[in-house]
Amino acid sequence: MGVLNAFRVRMNTLAIVLIPVCIAINWAGHALAQALHLFFLDSVGTVLGGLLAGPWVGGISGLLTNIISSGSTDPIAWAYCGVAFAIGIVAGIGGYYGWYRTWAGRITLYVLIVLVASVISTPININLYAGQSGVPFGDALYTGMVKSGWPTWLAAYIDEASGDIPDKLITVVVATLIFFGLPNRYRSLFSVWRRPSGEPEPAPAS
Amino acid sequence: MAGGLSLYAEGSSFLHRAHPLTKGVLMLSAVALAFIAPSVGWVIAILLLLLALVTAAGVLRRLLTVALAILLPLTLLLLAVQGFANVNNRTEAFALGPIVYYREGLAIAALAALRIACLVCATFLFSFTTRPADIAEALMQRGLSPRMGYVVQAALQIIPQTLDTAGRIQDAQRARGLETEGSLPRRARAYLPLMLPLVLSSLVATQERAMALEVRGFGLAVKRVARFDFADNTYQRVLRWLLAVAVPGAIVARVVGWR
Repeated sequence: MGVLNAFRVRMNTLAIVLIPVCIAINWAGHALAQALHLFFLDSVGTVLGGLLAGPWVGGISGLLTNIISSGSTDPIAWAYCGVAFAIGIVAGIGGYYGWYRTWAGRITLYVLIVLVASVISTPININLYAGQSGVPFGDALYTGMVKSGWPTWLAAYIDEASGDIPDKLITVVVATLIFFGLPNRYRSLFSVWRRPSGEPEPAPAS
Repeated sequence: MAGGLSLYAEGSSFLHRAHPLTKGVLMLSAVALAFIAPSVGWVIAILLLLLALVTAAGVLRRLLTVALAILLPLTLLLLAVQGFANVNNRTEAFALGPIVYYREGLAIAALAALRIACLVCATFLFSFTTRPADIAEALMQRGLSPRMGYVVQAALQIIPQTLDTAGRIQDAQRARGLETEGSLPRRARAYLPLMLPLVLSSLVATQERAMALEVRGFGLAVKRVARFDFADNTYQRVLRWLLAVAVPGAIVARVVGWR
């Protein structure tokens, strides 16, 4: 039954080895995005790991990406490791149900990831930056909204969401396109969840 | 970047020699206390304490160069936004033409900036004095699954390699005429031809790596033996407990009425 089966996994060696690769993809994706002056784009690997091998691989990749980057380049990142973990979990559930195959599913995946990322980030932003997100465009929105009397939490949420909406759109589109660009063999190789005998496999992609 | 991700600075101070878990607990408690503490005075006290520890570890100059680059722009942004727009703003501090700045907002921004300074100092104190390999090893000795230990170690090794590959792919695609400048949609379109070869090449390597690990007994369900023990003593054990208990203690104090 249901969504809990996605979490019932055997973490075989292949799934374990996939996690550091996803972390490295997150890093390189972020570095390439910086070179192109795009958004953060630091969760392509997390989403891809979730789609390929389920919620635990996705979640752990996200969590460790933030912890490792706070040990090297961005000391504030570990405050947000829960956000990255949740993104991986959502992507993993999407992978379990094969949401990448239909347009409705892809849009659901995108909307859920944006919601999860912005809802979990907002209270962290309120405690850390008094509600700002540190992105100049979002903070300009925040200033305008607080000045015209909007409640701080709503302004803080819109501030955060204004960054997440485009950022996660590129993340999800790129992760799904890469997923479809992989050889079929790899897609089935990494799916580590145990489906109960009654539940049908999602049809293979493409 | 290829020189490795670690910020670890060789040293022989008592902080370098301390058990990795002690430093980890110190970092987490200091950050938690900085955010629980109610007033600027307390937060400054925690910050000064952290800076004293940083000085004792001999990494003050290193810390200042990296921390200020992060903290200065953040502080300016906080002061500029909160001093101008905050629900608590009542008392005018000064006016720049039509833009009025308020005391309450500036105070809130200063408190937030000081707390972030504590967070940055505590985190850098930890990463300057602890080898990443040591923290993974210490956690494994305390019951973290060795597979998770492998994940952390492998990630630290793979990231610099992957960044190198990313640089090479970027050069190669530019040489083929990929446009990496221009409008936002154009730059977003350039992202995929850079990512796809990178991901494919790194995923292809995973299966070989998994097989190499398997034949070396990675998946065996046996108890692992530690290669070395970290020096630990009663003082550090007591200190860890004190620091860990201080956090719920401070929360209770805040609830009871610590202002």
